[in-house]
Amino acid sequence: MNAIERVGDYSRLMWKTFSKPDSWKMFGKQYVRELHKQGINSLPIVCIISVFIGAVICIQMRINTESPFLPSQLTGYATRETMILEFSSAILCLILAGKVGSNIASEIGTMRITEQIDALDIMGVNSANYLILPKILAFVTMIPCLVTFSITTGLLGGFGVALFTEMITPMEYEQGIQYSFLPYSIQYSIEKSLVFAFIVTSIASYYGYTVKGGAREVGKASTNAVVNSSVIILLFDVMLTKLLLS
Amino acid sequence: MIEVKNVNKSFDGKQVLFDISANLLEGHANLIIGQSGSGKTVLMKSVAGIYRIDSGEILYDGRNISQMKSNELNLLRREIGMLFQGSALFDSLTVKDNVMFPLRMFSNKSEEEMEERARFCLERVDLLRALDLYPSEISGGMQKRAAIARAIVLNPKYLFCDEPNSGLDPKTSLLIDRLILEITHEYNITTIINTHDMNSVMEIGENIVFISKGHKSWQGNNTEIYDTGNEDLENLIFASDLYKKIKKAHQMGI
Repeated sequence: MNAIERVGDYSRLMWKTFSKPDSWKMFGKQYVRELHKQGINSLPIVCIISVFIGAVICIQMRINTESPFLPSQLTGYATRETMILEFSSAILCLILAGKVGSNIASEIGTMRITEQIDALDIMGVNSANYLILPKILAFVTMIPCLVTFSITTGLLGGFGVALFTEMITPMEYEQGIQYSFLPYSIQYSIEKSLVFAFIVTSIASYYGYTVKGGAREVGKASTNAVVNSSVIILLFDVMLTKLLLS
Repeated sequence: MIEVKNVNKSFDGKQVLFDISANLLEGHANLIIGQSGSGKTVLMKSVAGIYRIDSGEILYDGRNISQMKSNELNLLRREIGMLFQGSALFDSLTVKDNVMFPLRMFSNKSEEEMEERARFCLERVDLLRALDLYPSEISGGMQKRAAIARAIVLNPKYLFCDEPNSGLDPKTSLLIDRLILEITHEYNITTIINTHDMNSVMEIGENIVFISKGHKSWQGNNTEIYDTGNEDLENLIFASDLYKKIKKAHQMGI
């Protein structure tokens, strides 16, 4: 299947996905389950990665900007900007493409090869809508929370460096993260992440839903889902940055 | 009754079914048999509406599924129950929730009424003790019975069974066969069973359609199967020494 056929196939699947649920009650249950699975369950990994990356950015900024001509507040400022503008939206979504994307692709792929999706179809259930829509909506709902959580914990990671090392004082760090703050940066970060969340879940669902074969193909679909959604996230990152910031 | 008329089906230019016509009778176990790769699964999935046929007609009590729009097909599918080869139970749900799933999707019953119906169906297949277990916690035979309970929970008019005995021991296979036959008679269902299990053919073959290399080669029942004069069918049915002896005994009137 070439790229154009894939895009057509993906669009058809999304058309089928974004339709009225057969049962709102069942949809609601699935949605809440997915909120927990994709959102709440992602908090530990988001916390760990953000804290450490925040700390590392803070250390690196301090080392690379240590100069009598540059204010020491620059470290906090650069940490904040890096976390808000890029890490907590784009990089976080790349990381979550690995966690959430592979999970979705393998779950739906396994359902495909064990005929569970055929069972839904034969019952007259719109299987794409039932399985995929709650996943997309749940992740899109949760991503602003995850992004905000990541920004907060990342900045706390940087604060930890200021608190436990002598590279920068906590006061300088605090002044830096408050310096020249634009609330639009948060809006920009969240807007980008909403698009990335849709990309991760819809592409992973597509690869899982269209699996043919056995366990080997499910593994392959999971890998393809992560690789392709990552590439598309990077592509959209460039486009959205140009559109929203320039 | 399901009427199959002059059905042709191909995949990527390779024809799999050639001009197949057969009547699948209401209140009877209709078996589609044939060697591996003969096209019996494709025929069953075409009849079930999973595959779109290239030409011909499939009539469900006069309703032609090949001319149905997707919403009409979805409505028809609510009259269909299907038992898959691997059971296809939803592994994230308990046995009870699996059986209640079609009710939750398509009925307006209260939770208590749905549970009562699920319990009735599970009792019918003797599986009440597995109510709160997950599919991975029960045996293959129990999974098949749970899948039968799920298939009949909406009172289907048509029941499709794809190799219901695959992976089961002979005793459990017999139990499943008899259960399917009982349910077919009890609820007057048009049951279509795709199998190459010869015990099933002999036990429940009320209407047998034999497919060979994509063609319908013979149709009859389990009493007529001993004297078909069809070489391909005899090679399939009476392949083992045991069945050869059974055939000989039958011909000698023993």
